[in-house]
Amino acid sequence: MADIRTPDAISSVPLGDVLERITDGIFALDADWRIVYINSRARELLDARDRRLLGERYLDAFPKARDASFAREYRAAMDDQHPRAFVEHSRTVDRWFEVQVYPSANGLSIYFRDITDRIEAERELAERSQQQHALIEFGRTALGRIGTNRLMGDALELLLTYLDLPYAEIYLYDPTSKRYRFGEVAGLGDEVAPHEAPPLSGDAVDDLVAGHFILSEDVRADERFTDRATLIRLGIESAYCLPVGTAETPLALVTLYGSRDAVANASRRRFADGVATTLGEALRAKNARQRNREILESINDAFVACDAELHITYVNERMAQFWQRPADQLIGMSLEAFARRAEDADVIASYRAAIVSGKSSAFETFMVDRQRWFETRVYPFAGGVAGYVRDITRRKSAELQIRELNVELERRVRERTHQLELANADLESFSYSVSHDLRAPLRAIDGFSQALEEDYAATLDGEGLRFLRRVRSAARRMSELIDALLDLARIARRPMSFVPVDLSKVAQGVVEDLRREDATRDVRAFVQDGLHAYGEPALIRACLDNLIGNAWKFTRDVPAAEIHVGSDAPGAFFVRDNGAGFDMAYANKLFGAFQRLHAPEEFEGTGVGLATVAKIVQRHGGGISGEGSVGQGATFTFTLPMEAPQRQ
Amino acid sequence: MSRQYVLLIEDNDDDIELTRRAFARNHILNELVVARDGAEASALLFSEDREQLLPQFILLDLKLPKISGLELLKEIRANPRTALIPTVILTSSKQDEDLIEGYRLGVNSYVRKPVDFNEFVEAVRQVGLYWLVINQPPPADD
Repeated sequence: MADIRTPDAISSVPLGDVLERITDGIFALDADWRIVYINSRARELLDARDRRLLGERYLDAFPKARDASFAREYRAAMDDQHPRAFVEHSRTVDRWFEVQVYPSANGLSIYFRDITDRIEAERELAERSQQQHALIEFGRTALGRIGTNRLMGDALELLLTYLDLPYAEIYLYDPTSKRYRFGEVAGLGDEVAPHEAPPLSGDAVDDLVAGHFILSEDVRADERFTDRATLIRLGIESAYCLPVGTAETPLALVTLYGSRDAVANASRRRFADGVATTLGEALRAKNARQRNREILESINDAFVACDAELHITYVNERMAQFWQRPADQLIGMSLEAFARRAEDADVIASYRAAIVSGKSSAFETFMVDRQRWFETRVYPFAGGVAGYVRDITRRKSAELQIRELNVELERRVRERTHQLELANADLESFSYSVSHDLRAPLRAIDGFSQALEEDYAATLDGEGLRFLRRVRSAARRMSELIDALLDLARIARRPMSFVPVDLSKVAQGVVEDLRREDATRDVRAFVQDGLHAYGEPALIRACLDNLIGNAWKFTRDVPAAEIHVGSDAPGAFFVRDNGAGFDMAYANKLFGAFQRLHAPEEFEGTGVGLATVAKIVQRHGGGISGEGSVGQGATFTFTLPMEAPQRQ
Repeated sequence: MSRQYVLLIEDNDDDIELTRRAFARNHILNELVVARDGAEASALLFSEDREQLLPQFILLDLKLPKISGLELLKEIRANPRTALIPTVILTSSKQDEDLIEGYRLGVNSYVRKPVDFNEFVEAVRQVGLYWLVINQPPPADD
């Protein structure tokens, strides 16, 4: 523009074409403010293509310029004849113009260009930068806000201020009912009755809870908005509903109401999103704090946190009760202020030790003044130490009770053992008597019967002598019974040892003895090899003596007598014969003492043998059963341990 | 009282008589002196009278009134005068405890009285034969 120095140049015809092609708007006024020239660009910018304008007075043609910088600056330029430049908003066309004015004696030459886009960009930039600062400030204060209402108020104020909104609401999400409930309102609060729940359709709310925003450019025709009457009354065009939080944990809902420009503008929505995000973070932090607090308050333990100098930074209600002071009084106090008793010194030492060592510890103390037991657990953390104190008096007294019960139980067991020992001693003296005192008269019966037989045979007839022999036989038989009974008692009392026993070898030995004693018998005996068990060798020998002895005895009348000794399962052994057998109907009587399934005339015996066997097996922790049928033989199966039992 | 005698310490009259009968049946002519309890036996064995003769051997029952046979055995072995007298337990008991204690206290033999009289006679015969004839007694004090 340096080459255009004077308005005279404008009137010269050769320049006219040039000026027409210039992209700036140009017009010239004479001293009387009449428009003497205007190029087509200026007509275009001033929206005056079809108007005459030339010859019209400037302020008549553009009356709205009168109160603006235009009229003032032009007048000043004419007066002082100095060029000037300014930026002004034209109310005529609602645009921003950058204007340069060049005065001369004949009038003014005015050059102007439309800088509306630049101005708006600048303004938006400034607005955004302001918003950014506001957001940062909000973020800084929001996290420290203790009250939720204050937090929501801050957020709403921010939105209203920076987005130039008439009205905005916040609803808080209630996880229990899974619905939004009224939180805070700002703007036209007085003119709108607050809604308990957002004035939105159920589907819309579901959408929001799921994390989707709702942008409605024309709420007056949007059925998702259930209170359209109010919105229409307030002249609200658009609404932007913005969920806060995530679909997993919804926190709140922010709704902005306003003109389409204010609400639907992308950069403004970005600001609203920023506010909502910050609000969400603050709410989340608050919830977390609240949860921690609730946890610390709800645990049954008293809880205290201290800094590294043992100054109290937090106590829950229970700890405050424990120390019998309000919680807020305790904050900042030194733990050592509570050291009144000797045991407190130990407690404080353990807190200190936890800080130094970084290791947690636990201990139990009895507080004499309270007559109660407490358990303290101390946990160090970065920059401090936490203590949990629990009243364990009940547990302690239960432990004490258990200990007392145990002592009582042990005493009773000892007493009972003593009684059993006495009973055992009684039993021993009884069996001693049986063995000694019961046999003496038998010996007398037998001895004097024989004396009678020897010395008085002449005076006794045959019948008398026969009676005498029967007396003697009965006496001998009773003696055998007594011996068998004593053997049984001895087995029951005998101390047990558990050592490996080769049953095959023992059985072979029994068979050999039987053959030696009764060489007339032809019995085929089959003893399986490798039969092993654990037990008391003498008792196992007695067991097989009896079982194989029985088999030997009861096969007496069988032409091809056979005895099998073997095992058909680990730890289970059998002795089988093909002898007289027995009736299974009496199987339950097999193992009782003095129970006999055969008359003494058929097979001799005391009736104690199988009782002895059963006792032996039982003492080894095993079991025994018998199977048979009359004339078909019998099988006795018994179990013995396959390994030494654990000592008890 | 002849010089040679056998002391039977026994309280049961039947057993005393049967023992006498067994001696007779076996033609053992040595006198059988009977003490009916521990006190009688003590009086005889531990008499102050140095003239009192001691038995060739003792047949000792275990179950006795006042002083038990094992207690008496202990005293016999403890007394220097009687310590070496061959002593045979003749009893109905075959309790392990009695056997063990008897031998521990130094009994020379332990015989269980059989109920069958013939067996009893045989037992007495063998005991008498052994201790009176076959066995060489310890040298007498005087």
